[in-house]
Amino acid sequence: MKVIDSYLDGGKEIRWKSLGSRRIKDRVAFALSYVVLGIMVIVLLSIFIYVLDSGASHIALKMLITTGNTATGGVLNAIVGTWELVGMGLLFSLPPSILGALYVVNSRSNGTVSMVARLFTDILTSVPSIVIGFFAFIVLVQRLNMGYSLVAGGLALAIMMLPYLMRIIEISFRNIPKEQIENAYALGADDIRVASRIYLPQAKVGMLSGTLLAVSIAAGETAQLLYSAGWNNGFASGFLHSGVGYLTYVVWNGINYPTTYSHYLAYVSAMILILSVTGLIAVSKYIGRRK
Amino acid sequence: MKVANKIFNFSTFLMAIVPAVALISIFYFVFNESLPLWRFSGFSFFTTYLWDPGFQYQPPILVHGVLAPPGAQFGLDLFLLGTISTSLLAIIIAFPISFLITINVELYLPSRIKKFMISMIELFAGIPSVVYGLWGIVVLEPILFKNVEPWMARHLSFIPGFGGEVYSGAGLVASGIILSFMIIPIITSVIVNSFDSVPKEVKEGLFSLGATRWEVGKYLTTRFSRSSMVGGTLLGLGRALGETMAVLMVSGAIVNTLPTSFYSATNTMAAAITSLLDSALTDSTRMDLAALAALAVVLMGISLGVSLVGRKIAGRGALRGYESD
Repeated sequence: MKVIDSYLDGGKEIRWKSLGSRRIKDRVAFALSYVVLGIMVIVLLSIFIYVLDSGASHIALKMLITTGNTATGGVLNAIVGTWELVGMGLLFSLPPSILGALYVVNSRSNGTVSMVARLFTDILTSVPSIVIGFFAFIVLVQRLNMGYSLVAGGLALAIMMLPYLMRIIEISFRNIPKEQIENAYALGADDIRVASRIYLPQAKVGMLSGTLLAVSIAAGETAQLLYSAGWNNGFASGFLHSGVGYLTYVVWNGINYPTTYSHYLAYVSAMILILSVTGLIAVSKYIGRRK
Repeated sequence: MKVANKIFNFSTFLMAIVPAVALISIFYFVFNESLPLWRFSGFSFFTTYLWDPGFQYQPPILVHGVLAPPGAQFGLDLFLLGTISTSLLAIIIAFPISFLITINVELYLPSRIKKFMISMIELFAGIPSVVYGLWGIVVLEPILFKNVEPWMARHLSFIPGFGGEVYSGAGLVASGIILSFMIIPIITSVIVNSFDSVPKEVKEGLFSLGATRWEVGKYLTTRFSRSSMVGGTLLGLGRALGETMAVLMVSGAIVNTLPTSFYSATNTMAAAITSLLDSALTDSTRMDLAALAALAVVLMGISLGVSLVGRKIAGRGALRGYESD
């Protein structure tokens, strides 16, 4: 009987066992992998269908046009607050990401600094979200006396979005042909010109698609915001010292609150969340693909 | 123009070190906040599972030079145990699934729908964690409580810890399952990327020598993807360790009660920080807050350590396909 003892050692002669048992193994792997993939697709669809169905069957116009406290009223304040917070997070994270990525890809930058910057960007992605939230609470809310506010919540989100954005933007900068950049420098362009005429226009698509992805992640975050943005039964009245509502809070609080209506609000918020998040991911993928 | 360029370059430099500044200040301020706890509890923080903020309405007492409410006692064992057990269960569920999904999309699935299928699996990572929590409470917990766990308790009771009473669906099993959904896309994408980076000639060569698809998969796994599988799993583990909201919602979030069986309610470090912070704010000595800061320090240490090792093993850019395009 031929044995496959050597085919893992590469280079040596490959001797197969008889096809029968090998084909059976192949069939087993085939069947098993399809079953697992099928189960996961069913699970994914069932989560989506459940959330969409329970949201759609309890939605009422009143919920979308009134403000509320997760047990009564609507979720308008939470919808608006979510986008205010995400916008604030983007404001605090997008400019530093672009500039930081420009530094990292610039061949005339200090290599050690670039390396350290990249390393810390990687590490920052792995900080648990509640640790960022805790930090935001003790430093921004308490020490810097911002109170539960749009700025504190936005900064907490920005800490999470920053490393994602910086890395995605860095990758889209690196996809630009090197010759083009070298030529620009050879013709006497300075760094500002290279950034504004080559890096930014060329990487526009990648940056946009990455930004949408970061927004989709930020819109679904909760733990950072609980103790930085707080909550508000109405709209935030300013940038500081005024809590902000957001959808994920309604889901969390609503489902734990013992009334039927609060559960409905949670379902509706979950539906809005999952629709926005998957919508953003889909758009991001679509834009990214055309590149 | 030269001056403008200098200013521009300096500002790009400043922005490039923002992540480093952010990370260092997170660590510094959280550690700083936790200092009173280390003086108060010392090593006993690691050796007890009791978490008692003490009598907040009695005058605080002085212990080891720091003020704390009388009767206060803090230990992380219960939360640490919960964090480790839920994450390990998640890995045990997620790894074989991710491996088989990779084998499927790389070798069996028609290549036309490979990209689409990977995007589908990645959607698991896109679902917000509170939505997982909601689904866990409303759908998963009742199923576990009514069908799965009683069955397991009846038929698997010969395994230590698998017998005993089923109280509710919330706990280790529900947390592990939901965490596994969250990390399957991470592990899968790392392994898929490593499969994709194998030179095409290797695969084609094996096929032309008469290897079956499973044999090609086995060869690629053992020869090319072993480190990616370890690294990807560690990256998934890092994510699972730090996950907060979904686990908070489906773990039962208990305090001061050690789990007695596989079906007991549990709690994790991340969930405990979230759920206990509100009441910690009433402690005028800030000792309760310091204890939560200490939890955050330990959690951050473990989770960063695991993720860093994972990234090192899997290689930088291992998650590229999953995070960017």
